[in-house]
Amino acid sequence: MTHPSRSSESGAQLLARLEGKRRLKGLDFHLFPDDCSPAQGDVVEFHGMEGTGKTETLYHLVTSCILPGEFGGLEVEVMYVDTDYHFDILRLVSILEHRLPQGSEEMLRACLCRISVVHCSSSLQLLLTLHHVEGTLPGRPSLSLLVIDSISAFYWVDKYNGGDSMARQEANLRRIAELLEKIVKEHHIAVFATTHAIMRSNSAEEVAEVGGTSWKRRTVAPSDFTKVYLCRPWQRIVTHRVLFSKANMTKDRKQVFTAVSSSGRTNSTKRSSFCMTNAGIQFL
Amino acid sequence: MNKASAMVFLREGLCPGLTDEVVQALRAKNIRTVVDLVSSDIEDLAQKCSVSYKTLLAVRRVLLAQNSAFPVTGADLYEELLSSTAILSTGNASLDKLLDSGLYTGELSELVGAPGTGKTQICLGVAVNISCEVKQSVLYIDSTGGLSANRLLQMIKAKISNAEEQMEALGRIQVCPVFDVFSLFECLHHFRSTGLQQSLAGGSSVKAVIVDSVSAVLANMLGGKQTEGMSLMMQVAGELRTLAKDLNVAVLVTNHVTRDGNGMIKAGLGQSWSHIPRTRVLLQRIEQPRSTCSSLRTATLIKSSRWPCYSMEEIDLRYWGQCEEKLHGLQGKRKQVSNSPS
Repeated sequence: MTHPSRSSESGAQLLARLEGKRRLKGLDFHLFPDDCSPAQGDVVEFHGMEGTGKTETLYHLVTSCILPGEFGGLEVEVMYVDTDYHFDILRLVSILEHRLPQGSEEMLRACLCRISVVHCSSSLQLLLTLHHVEGTLPGRPSLSLLVIDSISAFYWVDKYNGGDSMARQEANLRRIAELLEKIVKEHHIAVFATTHAIMRSNSAEEVAEVGGTSWKRRTVAPSDFTKVYLCRPWQRIVTHRVLFSKANMTKDRKQVFTAVSSSGRTNSTKRSSFCMTNAGIQFL
Repeated sequence: MNKASAMVFLREGLCPGLTDEVVQALRAKNIRTVVDLVSSDIEDLAQKCSVSYKTLLAVRRVLLAQNSAFPVTGADLYEELLSSTAILSTGNASLDKLLDSGLYTGELSELVGAPGTGKTQICLGVAVNISCEVKQSVLYIDSTGGLSANRLLQMIKAKISNAEEQMEALGRIQVCPVFDVFSLFECLHHFRSTGLQQSLAGGSSVKAVIVDSVSAVLANMLGGKQTEGMSLMMQVAGELRTLAKDLNVAVLVTNHVTRDGNGMIKAGLGQSWSHIPRTRVLLQRIEQPRSTCSSLRTATLIKSSRWPCYSMEEIDLRYWGQCEEKLHGLQGKRKQVSNSPS
């Protein structure tokens, strides 16, 4: 089911597997540096604390993927794996409605048919689901983006279930990372995954779970929580990282968010600011 | 705790084609669990175990289908949501406004506030309103001992005059006292199994689950370097979120507040928990120097995917039940159709 056909792939199959993929080029010029915007085969990590706009940015990118070409979209399919159980289809619909002409119910439906959503409640289920998805990929040439929101959702449960053995604590995520690596390489799709910022970077050895949701603008440097804590195989496959944080309020009491993206390939970084509107995120 | 997180061992009859012979042959090559089988190269494995390649491939396919989650298209998800999501009025017009009409089934909302800011009062008010006005059942999980039957009845009496109906309304509020995280799990598991049966039988099922408070059973297990507490907390979170979605109920929890390094108020239970609720409302007292006992509070929206954050409303705790709106569906709300779906 995975690749018995790899040794005996016809030219037509190869074409379907690779060339059928629409490019993700021009997905977003605001968020990523010009010279290394993520493409097929890339794994992008969205890292940030609660309420820093990660999921909202995902909606923005997903919208750009599933909209038809005439409305500035890429018209490709997206698989959205929701492990946090907070994918809000109503929010996605309202963002889509703002970018489509009024009263285009049919077109909205067509857009919504380009996204599939799957919920996973454990790392094991996530692993098996990804294996299952992998098996269906050859039949879905226009699927170009896999979103996982979030990949860190099972961190604590896995850590405890693994007991004293680090290898067992990380076993499932390691397998997931290895599978994702294989999927992006063989099927030329991109992966966008979010990770919760829960560890302080300054007290590296301590499991510092002391932050919280400050309900007002926080004045501490948000970079406090940038510590990388997921297993190495995951770190290894990440090609782009985007750090999200809350910035100051504007004069009219609008919350501004910042995203700093960097790529391991080139050393360029890009900093962008955005705020939230009914029509999705809006870059400043 | 969770069925989905348990390791599934290969055994005879787990799926068609998985005979004792095959299981033994796989075990000899150290393939013991579903994950082992699924992650290995089937071609290679078939040769090593001398089991037919076709059989192994079929077994792998069935096991994957059995154990993986099923994707649905956005279009189907949207249709399903429009037809099944209900918005439960909290019974307080200001709070409803903040929550965009009320509590949504399928979601987890959180009330945070210092002691005495009215978290329990609001929970009781919500339970009474859902029972009296919306005429739906509520599961009330009380971990603080803050629930008083007298207060419940008193609040119901303010809404309903007929004694028989009062008892019916009281009967629709199922109270489950818990004292630690394990009894909370037990309560939730019991609810899940009976809830599924009830919804299959088509009987009147519970529409809201209230946990007052989650921090009372979770906060004491956190801290230090140990991960057990964190793991249990995330399992509670997972259970509540899947419950909300699978049984289509609105989940409302309460949490305490702490202050961060700058003296800012923030929700308790730390960073990992902060990601869990979809909506979070902060309750605060309004400082009124002259009055000694004020029932006025401010409610601030600090997390939401519907309204801009930091929207604020004033709430009077005494005033619970002048809201005419009852259970209405998303369909009615979004498409301006007045009659409500089931």
